[in-house]
Amino acid sequence: MTAVAVRLVRLHAASRRLPVALALLAVCAAGLRGVLYGHWDDYGALQLPLIFETACAAIIAVTAGSPFGEPERATGRWLPYLRLGTAVTLTGLASGALAAAGTGMPLAGGFPDILRNVAGLTGIGLLCATLLGGPLAWTGPLAYLVAGVYGLYTDWHPPALSTPWIWPARPPHDVGGALCAAVVFAAGLAAITLRGAREHPSGDGPG
Amino acid sequence: MTAARAAGAQEHGAPVAPRPAAARRGAGAAVLSSGRLLRLELRHNAMLWLLPVAFALFFYNGYREIMALPPMWNLRAMTMQNRLLLDLLIPATGAAAWMGSREGRRRITDLVAVTARPRWSRQLAVWAATTAWAELACLACIAVVYLVTARQASWGSPLWWPAVVSAAGVPALTAIGFAAGAWFPGRFVTPLVTVVMFFGLAFSTQAASGDHSYWQISPLTVGAFDIGAAPGVASFYPYLPDLSIAQVMFTVGLTVAILGGLGIPVARMRWLAAVITVAGLAAAGTAVALAGTGRLDPHGMIVIPALHDAASDQPLRYTPACSRTPIPVCVNPAYAGFLPAVTATVGPELTEFAGLPGAPARLSQVPLVYRQVSANGIDVSASGPRAAAFVVPDQVPGWLGTTGAEFAAQLAEGLGVTLASDVILGGGQKSAAAPTQAELAVIAGSVRFPPSVQSRDLAPMYGQLLPQPGSPADLAGRRFAALSPAARHAWLAEHLTALRAGRVSLAQMP
Repeated sequence: MTAVAVRLVRLHAASRRLPVALALLAVCAAGLRGVLYGHWDDYGALQLPLIFETACAAIIAVTAGSPFGEPERATGRWLPYLRLGTAVTLTGLASGALAAAGTGMPLAGGFPDILRNVAGLTGIGLLCATLLGGPLAWTGPLAYLVAGVYGLYTDWHPPALSTPWIWPARPPHDVGGALCAAVVFAAGLAAITLRGAREHPSGDGPG
Repeated sequence: MTAARAAGAQEHGAPVAPRPAAARRGAGAAVLSSGRLLRLELRHNAMLWLLPVAFALFFYNGYREIMALPPMWNLRAMTMQNRLLLDLLIPATGAAAWMGSREGRRRITDLVAVTARPRWSRQLAVWAATTAWAELACLACIAVVYLVTARQASWGSPLWWPAVVSAAGVPALTAIGFAAGAWFPGRFVTPLVTVVMFFGLAFSTQAASGDHSYWQISPLTVGAFDIGAAPGVASFYPYLPDLSIAQVMFTVGLTVAILGGLGIPVARMRWLAAVITVAGLAAAGTAVALAGTGRLDPHGMIVIPALHDAASDQPLRYTPACSRTPIPVCVNPAYAGFLPAVTATVGPELTEFAGLPGAPARLSQVPLVYRQVSANGIDVSASGPRAAAFVVPDQVPGWLGTTGAEFAAQLAEGLGVTLASDVILGGGQKSAAAPTQAELAVIAGSVRFPPSVQSRDLAPMYGQLLPQPGSPADLAGRRFAALSPAARHAWLAEHLTALRAGRVSLAQMP
């Protein structure tokens, strides 16, 4: 990799606040580790990891926003690859960090659960970034969090939600849930790679 | 500019007046310009765009669950309090944080700092607009739930305190989100503060332990943590507002404290803001302390002595709903929807025992009695030990997934066995002597247990009220059960006195 490429990657990372995002992902992992030391009932044990997975996905989605807009699109031949690389790298790092945080602790679902949920939620976030813009990309993962928490709740209180599209409520090794999460993640990656985050003509969104 | 135009508009319509009138005109202009600022903020508010998200989340998470419950005001109103605020949290807190961070995000802090209005005033207008939209969503959700319930409920009236707690919680959510956005403007703040708030609110009830817990102050907590919304709570006695008052006091105090805190950096208003903040914190702290003094009352609600009104302890007046069965079964009118299920379950026994010596003239529902026995352990028992005063179990069909078969099984194990044993064993008139095998056989033959009832469910009653499975008494009971209710009634009318006296053997049973 040439020095120019390294500089390009570094500048792209800086423009997307990647250092801050990485620090926040680490904080999320540390937070998960911290709360796993607590005593939670069955609801808490299953729902807690989903909250931290959602936080990571929202952080990754928010980094998709570009502060430059059209000039960057016009001049950046490598921009789609940089977007793709950023999203995939952050998703991998988030999953790894959360899994590492749960090592040796009673983490419900384990690594497969984390990987599926983080990937699926990130896919939702990237799709939202494409539709609503980077700054508002958090709305999708956070709204899905409520649906996911409710799905886990119905595991105790039937009728349980059986649709694989609410994958957090499915067992970690459930193929249907994993496929749905993978499809959403792939769609999010494709959208953010090809189109990038939406830019609002009036600024960064409503309000 | 808005303020200047407002002032100008006032001047056109105002007569020439001495100084006090001018002062009044100035105050009126300020109010008018504040109104215009609020209107502008209402039109350009992120919460307006998130209203569909709020409604969708409530429909998906709360509304369907609430509407799946039996149409009882207490169940639906209390469940709504437990759900609504959590469903509104994501859009309300997120929108407020987004709006709070606007000046910092768009780097216009210096630009607007030179306007006529102080920063605190501008911020309060933005917060008020955000809160107004969020509150509108909250009230709309409450209205839908209450309107639908009003059409379906057999008896009762809306419980307003759960609605008040939910409505009072919305400004607190927006205040926290707004303050976070204002103090730490950045692209990551909105999702992070929203997730933190979701975690804090959703898991605030996890720490609650017993009726003295300070965590009961969470606006999601409805009554005792391990009872929550149950049919037996607030059906026979009024809904106690004690905990709701403390929760409203807490959320309002928190809101005031946070909004006051926003004004502390403003040099001219520092003292006023500080006083407001301290007052808000004092109110919130007092509310938490009050929640810690709560205790579970026998009717399943939390009593806070400092806030309690003894008049609320009087039972509700109602005309019971009664069945047209040989022995009438009368229930609280709120339970009228379950009366057919009750009579269907114990109907054969009612026909069989009607008119026999010792049989009750009618069966009347009485309230359940709740008692705190351990940290989160609550004992739920019947206040009347006899069938004439029976209880309908809290696990009614539709409550937390309870099926009609499970409800019938509980009734058969409770009311059915009690009614049969009262009649066959003579109720309280008989001594504590062990029942004879023939008596056990008749009881077993009289009670119709649904197929879902397992032997292990009945095990505690074997030898006391029911014969051991496979014993001769059990076989005699099966023979007796094969008769029609009318035939059983005829046999009992002839042999009940002898049966109670122990003069009937298993061989003499039909």
